[in-house]
Amino acid sequence: MNRFISTLCALLITTITTQVSAQEQEFETVMTPAFSPITWERLVNSKEEPNNWLMYSGSLDAQRHSSLDEVNINNVADLELKWAYQIPEIDRAETVPLVVDGIMFITEAPSNVVAVDARTGRQYWRYDHELPEDLRICCGRNNRGVAILGETLFMSTLDAHLVAIDARTGNLLWDVEVAKHDSGYSKTAAPLIVKDLVVTGMAGGEFGVRGFIDAYHPDTGELAWRTYTIPGEGEFGNDTWSGDSWKTGGSATWITGAYDVDLNLIYWGTGNPGPDWNGDVRLGDNLYSDSALALNGDTGEIEWYFQFTPHDVHDWDAIQVPILADLNIDGQDQRVMMWANRNAFFYSINAADGRFLKGSPFATQTWAQGLDANGAPVRVPGMEPTYEGIMVSPPITGGTNWYSPGYSPDTELFYVTAFDGEQIFFKRDEDYEEGERYTGGGGRYDQPIDAFKSWIRAIDPTTTETVWEFPIMPRSSAGITTTSGGLLFSGTADGYFFALNAETGQELWNISLGRRVHAAPITYQVDGDQYVTIASGNVVYTFGLDE
Amino acid sequence: MHLQASILWKGLFSIGALSLILVGLPSSAEDAGTLYNTTYDVLQGERYFERQCSRCHGFDAKGNDETGAPDLTGRLSRANNPVGIFNIVRNGVPNTAMLPVDADLPDAQVWQVVSYIESLRYDPASVELDGNPDAGLALFLNNGDCASCHMVNGQGGRLGPDLSRVGESTRPEDLMTAITNPHEDVAPRWWTLEITGPDGVTRSGFRMGEDSFSVRIMDNDSNLWSYQKNNIDSIERIERSTMPSYDGAMSESELDDLVAYLFSLRREGN
Ligand code: HEC
Ligand code: HEC
Repeated sequence: MNRFISTLCALLITTITTQVSAQEQEFETVMTPAFSPITWERLVNSKEEPNNWLMYSGSLDAQRHSSLDEVNINNVADLELKWAYQIPEIDRAETVPLVVDGIMFITEAPSNVVAVDARTGRQYWRYDHELPEDLRICCGRNNRGVAILGETLFMSTLDAHLVAIDARTGNLLWDVEVAKHDSGYSKTAAPLIVKDLVVTGMAGGEFGVRGFIDAYHPDTGELAWRTYTIPGEGEFGNDTWSGDSWKTGGSATWITGAYDVDLNLIYWGTGNPGPDWNGDVRLGDNLYSDSALALNGDTGEIEWYFQFTPHDVHDWDAIQVPILADLNIDGQDQRVMMWANRNAFFYSINAADGRFLKGSPFATQTWAQGLDANGAPVRVPGMEPTYEGIMVSPPITGGTNWYSPGYSPDTELFYVTAFDGEQIFFKRDEDYEEGERYTGGGGRYDQPIDAFKSWIRAIDPTTTETVWEFPIMPRSSAGITTTSGGLLFSGTADGYFFALNAETGQELWNISLGRRVHAAPITYQVDGDQYVTIASGNVVYTFGLDE
Repeated sequence: MHLQASILWKGLFSIGALSLILVGLPSSAEDAGTLYNTTYDVLQGERYFERQCSRCHGFDAKGNDETGAPDLTGRLSRANNPVGIFNIVRNGVPNTAMLPVDADLPDAQVWQVVSYIESLRYDPASVELDGNPDAGLALFLNNGDCASCHMVNGQGGRLGPDLSRVGESTRPEDLMTAITNPHEDVAPRWWTLEITGPDGVTRSGFRMGEDSFSVRIMDNDSNLWSYQKNNIDSIERIERSTMPSYDGAMSESELDDLVAYLFSLRREGN
């Protein structure tokens, strides 16, 4: 019944939207973005307006699946370039744009946003965020996207601020400091809207920070709640850190989570414990590093957790986008959270209570014999980093990493960018100094990284078996999006953008864009025409069919 | 092959050379780097490097194409002396991921990092070899028939790597291995691919480029062919070298001469 009402609402809203855009069309020149405000209901029902891409992972369940099918397995080979947008600052683009009623919002390095016409790529406005000189960032000047609620965009910035920007003009509405950038905190991920709050994570796991997830009031930027991903003194789990190590234990939260409306739970991954490769100074399981957290949608309280890699010493962050779906596992219909982890294991977990259901490796790994009945790893002894170095699979970059996976309700398959590799891990002794890197070691490949193999793997989440795999040469760090046209879109590190048959893995179309695809594709529709957009190198490309 | 004992693989930059370079440079380096090149400094520099730089450049400073950070153990593209390296580390490379170090990091510590980077390279001038490079050149052109496959400064064949600067990047013992045991470590560029195309014709050639969807080869007549993988009939990979081994085919002293010649092949003025 709940669902019926929301469908009804969505229908009404769609009708209104259609009327608005019909009106707009009478005018030759559209002076302001034509979109109508994004209500929470629209976000809840985002799948019912597939013309738009309203949040980082497309929908609250983070499936990255679009029901658009104008572009499909029969005509995808006819896709052609519609426009390209060049990002002025040279850096790798990890942006996942949003599309709202014909307007596209693209984030850029270091922490800027531009609004363009989604049909032409031509600019409405831009917001350039002023940054201090002394940034502490581990891995490039990245930004992965914005969130929208009402007529306001919310963006994380490299100086660990959260800013609110007027979606029609690019004007700054408010700018709050989430944490001290000179202590090692930064922010790169798109926030997630949960009801009337902006939920957002942070980065800095290589700087001895203490991780947290925050929620802010969208109108004022006032903090509503903060949940630390490392328990404080006296709290449950604090004793899983020896001494004072919990204060500098990392456990950052640098990728966007998911939300389940019925369970009122926010799902969010946490990063490596710090220092990354020297576990001697932080004995214990190190809760809640490398975990999936389920937070109460109103209070942020931790309702359950699932730690994938207790006492991690390989930098295998659980920084992946959690995907939710209704599945039948072991004869039981249930809400399931699917997770392909950097530690090379895939997990199906009950989304209501965090119970482990099934799991197995989806990429080469040598560190665990398998998972026990609770999903905890059964470790192979002697795989910790040493001063001399020791070879372990997966490498630091993981069996996968933060690259968005996808799930198609049509094929009922989970898709992930997988890497079969190995690396020599080293341990070093380091003292914590505020604002300084605090990693305790590192890694080294003993062959060129291109000598290893990458894949798109399709996993049946009810069995955790790989159903098909498509080889990527040399490798990929791109996200995955599927459509009801039977398609899977993704990219490669050497600059291809391509489409596979989501059912079979068969290649259907590819185009060389010339530079690394380091983002996830989106698809949307304007005036009835479907488009597919991907960032490659420094450019955002949009493809469509010949009209 | 006999290398003389005095070879300093990890030779530190010499004091004389550095002071020469420093003359007249409007350097942002206030200290003279020479003060910070003891073994202790190199070790301190290494520690700093492992902590601050290895994430991008790799724990062995050999670079990481994942992060776009280059190999720092060979010839650098943006600096050819310690002051140049100092300035890169101090100021970063604008508009790239290579950011400056902390502004309040003392110059002394930057110099230690520079000393560490310098210690990863070696000064070819300090290497003394037994062979005679002129005799090696003669062998290369005549008896060895090397030039039928290899180019040096625009002269020679296309069936092997251009050797015009092979002495910059390759150590004498590795040059010797390349000649006597070519099958060890054949770079994918020199694998042979046998491809049967949509026309039913099988062509064989060097692997010029290959990716998920396409492959490009050069056949023995230097023709370039490009294929889409989804419409080729078959592809076979031969990962052995097409270069013959000269082990036994030449005397030890001839091999030494060849190595001495190859090692002398560097950019003009080096
Ligand atoms: C965030 C990644 C990153 C970190 C950390 C980093 N570098 Fe770099 N570095 C780069 C990149 C990328 C380049 C190439 C810039 C260009 O020329 O395009 C580079 C270039 C260089 C160069 C010039 C190389 C050449 O061939 O001329 C030197 C020297 C260098 N880095 C030293 C360092 C040192 C020393 C540190 C630590 C203090 C460091 N880097 C930390 C990414 C990084
Ligand atoms: C039939 C063609 C052919 C002939 C003749 C030949 N080479 Fe080669 N050579 C190759 C090929 C192909 C490679 C690359 C594959 C490999 O590493 O073996 C190569 C590699 C090398 C390398 C390594 C280059 C690098 O960049 O690492 C050296 C040095 C070399 N050859 C020297 C010689 C010398 C000296 C001779 C003559 C005595 C010779 N070659 C004769 C084909 C040839």
